[in-house]
Parts: sequence; structure tokens; C-alpha cells
Amino acid sequence: MAQRKPLPDMGIAPITTAGLHYRDATNFGFADATFRPISNAASTDNLVMSHSSVNYDKSGFVQDTNVVFPIDRFKELVAAGTVASLADVHYSFMGAGLEPEAYAASATQVAGLLKKDRVEAVFLTPV
Amino acid sequence: MAALSYFIEKQGIMTTGISLVRENTASMRPPRSLWVSFPLGRPLGNPGDSAVQHRVIAAALALLNRSAGPVLEDFPEELPAAQPTDAPSCPVSFTSPTDNTSWRGKLLKELGSLEPWYDLAKRSRQGRTAVGVSDQSAQANMAKLGQLLDDQQLPLTELAWFKHAIEDLKVYYLEALTAQPGNYTVEALQQTLWQDTALGAALKSFYHQFCALKEPQLQVFARIILPREMAGEATGKSRAKEPGAD
Repeated sequence: MAQRKPLPDMGIAPITTAGLHYRDATNFGFADATFRPISNAASTDNLVMSHSSVNYDKSGFVQDTNVVFPIDRFKELVAAGTVASLADVHYSFMGAGLEPEAYAASATQVAGLLKKDRVEAVFLTPV
Repeated sequence: MAALSYFIEKQGIMTTGISLVRENTASMRPPRSLWVSFPLGRPLGNPGDSAVQHRVIAAALALLNRSAGPVLEDFPEELPAAQPTDAPSCPVSFTSPTDNTSWRGKLLKELGSLEPWYDLAKRSRQGRTAVGVSDQSAQANMAKLGQLLDDQQLPLTELAWFKHAIEDLKVYYLEALTAQPGNYTVEALQQTLWQDTALGAALKSFYHQFCALKEPQLQVFARIILPREMAGEATGKSRAKEPGAD
């Protein structure tokens, strides 16, 4: 396992498998292991959800993005000094319909991008 | 989600996260997970409840202290049960099931009755809307769905359009139905969407038509039209295994 720094010294990146992306980005396909970037600096008001499953509630997300992607809460934790920093770019996947091995290439690619973005820990949220 | 944990951790980045289905997480054994007893779709709890959101995050981040995994802990809190009186009454009287006008007419009339509430929701959320996975407007999508039903046709050459159109329309309805401040329960919103609206009836009709097709791939497509509990009701039997979200 990776070595741990104290939390206030750690760079964190939230990653969601809720199929989020900007409205003008390409929708996720029915079974899709690719990822979409989400800017830490940009507003989340243009995020939409193109997850293929219908077996979950979307009404929480339509009222509050933080229900599936708690970016505002993490920004509050940075302001409070609980964590050191957030990545400049976060990532969204669509978790449904594929075997785990299908994510090997894209997850490895994202890990490389996160390292360059000074990230030491990832916080994963499902939907 | 466990797959992402595994592959990211393999590259030297620690991971922690939330689990919504405990047995799946126990089986997949990601390095660190916090199981919450919240509904699917709400891994951080109820919308607008930043206190619970912070407590969930703190509990999951605390798992980063564990260097040896897999670790699967249970979040000790349940979401407070909303009372029926916590949410405002539905602002729209939906079309009677006995209304025998065309599907197109019925659906467009219903969408029109929701439009002021959708607009209000968008204003009250500072212009935010989650509608927009389809490149066509809600009105254009609804008209096309209604016409397909009136013509007894299925969009077999436009499955991506169909999926994006129905997802956008469901989100449009949910935003309109939650336009007024209140504590809405998942169950009440699902009940309204699937039992009371012409859109719910239309999607059940599409579901039945896809299920009746011979091609297995198109029968599978039916499963991403209706949630599994509605599909069980629509067919009169429950399904043991359906594709879910993660």
C-alpha cells in the first residue's frame, strides 16, 4: 500500500462514478470505461449526468451536486486546513455494465494525471 | 468503483470511498470503504444537508489512517426519516389515466403544466439545471416520444437519442417537482413520477414494447428504461438480477 502523509499535508481529488460531465462534453455510452475531467475552478452548475443505469435516485443530484460529487464540502475542508489542497482537475467515470478489468487503462491514466497534480489520496463516490 | 480503487492504488495513490451496497464492496474488497445506509443515488445523504455530508467525508477520510486493507466500516448514522408533511404538495394535477387524447397531445400538455415549475426551480437554483444530456429540447423530445407511441413505433435506429431524451425528461420532471423548498422523500418522488404522470405511463409502454422484441440486445435495452422495481411491477414479477449503478 502507498505511504501516508498527515491529512493536512495531503492533496486530495474527489472522483465520482456517477457519470457526471459538462453539458457540452460527450455523453457516456451504455457501457463506457472512459473518463471526463471536471475543473476544480469552474462552476458545477453545468454538470449533467449521463449514467446508463436507471436503478438509483437522481432527485438528490438535481437539487444538490454535492450529494454525488461533494466538491463544495472539500473546498470547505481546504479552507479549514483539514486537507492541504485539491487537484486542479477531478475526474468522473460511469460505473455500470463492465467488468473491473475494463477500467485498468483509464484508471491508470488518471492516476498518472493525479500524480502530476500533486494528489496523494483519492476520495471515491459511487451513485 | 472498487476497480478504480484497485488500479489507482496500484500506482501509489491512496484511496478511500463510499459504499452504497455493502455486500458488493465486501466481495470486491477495495482498500478502504465506508458503507452508508443511504438510498442509491445519495452517497452523501440528503440534498442541502452539509452537516451530514461533512460527517460522511470525515469518516471516510479517517480510513486513510489504515495502512493495511481491505477496510470496510459502517457509517453509524441513518438519514432522518422525512415526514409526508415535510414536502410541499405536488404543484400539478396530472392528466387522468382515462384521458383518451393522443400520446403526443397528452405528453406535451403535461410538460407544459410543469414548465412554470421547472423554470422556478432553475431560478431558485441560480440557473442550474441538470437537463442537457440530449441535444434536443424537452419539448422536441416529448413530441417525438408521443408521436412514436401514437404511430406504434420504436426508435430502433435511434437508441442513443431515446435514452438521452428520456433521461432528460425524467430530470426535467424531478426538478419541477422539487421546485418548492422542502424535504422530499425518494419514495414520494418516484411514486409521483412513475404512477401519476403520463410520462411514467409512456415509459412503461416503451418498456413493454422493447421486452416483446425477439432480439436479446433490445430486450436488455428495456432494462435501462424503467427502474427494476417498476419493471417488476410492470411485468407482474420481480427480476432477480438487473444491471445496476456503481
